[in-house]
Amino acid sequence: MTDTIPVIRTQGLTKVFGKVRALDGLDLTVQPGEVHGFLGPNGAGKSTTIRVLLGLMKATSGRAELFGGDPWNDAPRLHRRLAYVAGDVALWPGLTGGQCLDVLGSTHGSVDEQRRADLVEQFQLDPTKRVRDYSKGNRQKVALIAALATDAELLVLDEPTSGLDPLMEHVFQQRIRNRREHGVTVLLSSHIMGEVEALADRVSIIRRGRTVTSGTLADLRRHTRTAVHAVTVAAPGSLTGIQGLADFQYERLNELTDTRFTIDSDHLDAAIGRLHVAGIHTLTVTPPSLGALFLQSYGETLDPKESAGDESLAEVVQ
Amino acid sequence: MSAGHPAADDRSRGLGTMLHIVVRIQWRSVLIWALALGASMAGTAASVASLYDTAAKIHTYAAAVTTGGALAAINGHVEGIDSLGGVIQDEFGFLIAVLMPLLAISLVARATRGEEEAGRLELLLGGRIARHHPTVAALLVVTATIFATAVLFAVGLAVFGVPPTGAVLYALSLGALGFVFTGLAALLAQLTPHARGIYTWSLIILAGSFALRGIGDVTKTWVTWLSPLGWAEKAAPFGDQRWWALLIPLAAGLTLSIAAARLASRRDLGSALVRGGAGPNRATVRLRSPIGFAAWIHRPAILGWLAGGVMLAGLMGALSHQFLDAMAGNPAVAQAIGIGGGRPVDGLIAATQLYLAVIAAGYLIQGIGTLRTEESNGRLENRLSGTLSRRRWLAAHAVVLLGGLVTIVLGSSLVLGLATALSAGDTADFGPTLTSGLAYLPAELVLGGIALTVYGMRPRLFAIAWASYAAMTFIAFLGSGLKFSQWVLDLSPTTHVGNPPMNAVNTAALIVMSAVTAVLGAVGFITFRRRGVPQS
Repeated sequence: MTDTIPVIRTQGLTKVFGKVRALDGLDLTVQPGEVHGFLGPNGAGKSTTIRVLLGLMKATSGRAELFGGDPWNDAPRLHRRLAYVAGDVALWPGLTGGQCLDVLGSTHGSVDEQRRADLVEQFQLDPTKRVRDYSKGNRQKVALIAALATDAELLVLDEPTSGLDPLMEHVFQQRIRNRREHGVTVLLSSHIMGEVEALADRVSIIRRGRTVTSGTLADLRRHTRTAVHAVTVAAPGSLTGIQGLADFQYERLNELTDTRFTIDSDHLDAAIGRLHVAGIHTLTVTPPSLGALFLQSYGETLDPKESAGDESLAEVVQ
Repeated sequence: MSAGHPAADDRSRGLGTMLHIVVRIQWRSVLIWALALGASMAGTAASVASLYDTAAKIHTYAAAVTTGGALAAINGHVEGIDSLGGVIQDEFGFLIAVLMPLLAISLVARATRGEEEAGRLELLLGGRIARHHPTVAALLVVTATIFATAVLFAVGLAVFGVPPTGAVLYALSLGALGFVFTGLAALLAQLTPHARGIYTWSLIILAGSFALRGIGDVTKTWVTWLSPLGWAEKAAPFGDQRWWALLIPLAAGLTLSIAAARLASRRDLGSALVRGGAGPNRATVRLRSPIGFAAWIHRPAILGWLAGGVMLAGLMGALSHQFLDAMAGNPAVAQAIGIGGGRPVDGLIAATQLYLAVIAAGYLIQGIGTLRTEESNGRLENRLSGTLSRRRWLAAHAVVLLGGLVTIVLGSSLVLGLATALSAGDTADFGPTLTSGLAYLPAELVLGGIALTVYGMRPRLFAIAWASYAAMTFIAFLGSGLKFSQWVLDLSPTTHVGNPPMNAVNTAALIVMSAVTAVLGAVGFITFRRRGVPQS
């Protein structure tokens, strides 16, 4: 796998608008065929990164490669291989949804007509309505269908589901999995942790224009704690002696023992062994959620000066 | 309801909040409109006062413009034209008849349906603002703006020697005209689902008012009384001074305003009486091509400006017979509409072509401004995320805008040539009419080049393009009549064309202007290629 060219690669990417450093040395690598979750609070630089990758904006310094090429100088040729859904879907109010699909499709070249028809049906879009009469969710559907109907090798999706209802969110996830089965690479910028957790193979978390952490979900989880809640018949012996165990709580309920703790993934096996010996009645093991991971990667570098950022963070993770 | 009643208290506070919001959003436009209109009135008054500084000169002017009666179709029939105020009213008649209603329409449209369409009104109505408050607040702010503008008018006129009573009545009659269109635009804001509809319908009504006033003034019948522009004229500020004539526009404006506020309080948010139905579910092949799509975007502007040009050309052409008669009877007529010596019919066509050039240049600026709107609304980003390069995108729009420009110029010139031939009974001037129209293309394109360069470099500064256009319009409309100094006239590219067909086309100047356009266009293309998208 070492000789495959990443679909997206940025190294030390910076972008300065006047006095604002929107990107401050961002590294991002997306391999072919993966769904890559791109996470960060509002204003972290997700949309700016995407615009640089699309050749809409020129990086101040650093490298941005798309399919091994330079997006700033070679945008139209590289765009043949990708489809993009902007965060703020803007369409022409005077056109119908169907007309917009065709106009958007025309700039991408190859559109699969059968898939387009299936998508319109699955997303329950009325293509004869004018865009100005659509709700936000319906406008988003138009942009999604247009992107998913193309034969692009790469889908760049900037918060694509913020206006969709749960049913449509489900359809969206199905379609993304379907595209991935066909070898399509996806860069999915999102606020919705559940969505990223459900779809992403790898995740990059960025903050203030810098990559905080990057890896597979399993990788990220390995460095975090798992919550365990067990009810056992007998009291489990000397749990507190196990390395990496914390937040220990213990309670006697009639004949049963209720135990809660968190533990490093590496020492989970030993802890469960002790619980097993004590006779497990019920057992809940909760791997850390992406939300918790996200908060944790922020918590590590959070300092009092940055309390302004906390508000958006709370929104993100809620 | 007592003043202490909490509901009443809340209600007035809601309106107060809404007024505050409208002022916050609109104060810049309000200030620019009031100052620009006030300044152009004062400027006109100053020029007229210095040009016609004796009773004899004023008398010559008055005799000239009233001969034959054809000029009344454009500037209106001014009662008491044999006075300083009368001359000002006549000179400023055409421009203010368009600008005053436009002030009202644009401010109201933005504050009412514009905000509703953008979804911002929903946010406000979720608070303690009642449904009719935005409309009432918009009406109050725009009415106040119009009143302030009228005060500036009166002061400007009085300063340059117009008798105060006449100045005040003239200013109020123009204010009342603005008030009628304020109410009209507010009512239309309830009926049409989009701000664009307010513009379309109120401009159609304005064109109708213009036609009715023109017909009434030329035929000297009661038809003038059917037009809001006629009401302003019939106040006769420098003639009989009919103060009561102000009551008609005030009553009309008030009725329209009340109707608008009532409708606003009763209808659902986002609803409208007139609404479009379903449309096609597929785009045509033409719409899918970059040029076809650009054509779709610019079509309304091309058709709108073409309609304006054709109407003006048709009117001038149809009245050419009367103009020529008037000029034959009194050489001063030619002077009054800015035509020097030479063949009268050439002078008439030349004057009309200059007006048409102003229309054509306005179209170009608006067309390039549309590109900026595409970008600031985020649609350009969508467009450029595919295989379409920036150069091709901009080139497609440039080609369409150029095609539209030629269509507008040729269409208007064709109508002018035909109508003149029909009215004057002579087809000899048909060819020169067309070529003189085309001779203005480089001058119009210089304005387009300025707009393109600004768009390429800093779309945020697009107001520079409109400011250049405003300067050009002012010079073209009033420059020769008010005898501006040559260096001021030279600022406008239209001056360098050579005023065909009356005088020979200045070929060298056309070549220079074409070269300037090419340079400006190239700068626009190159800078657009190099900057980030989107920039608002």
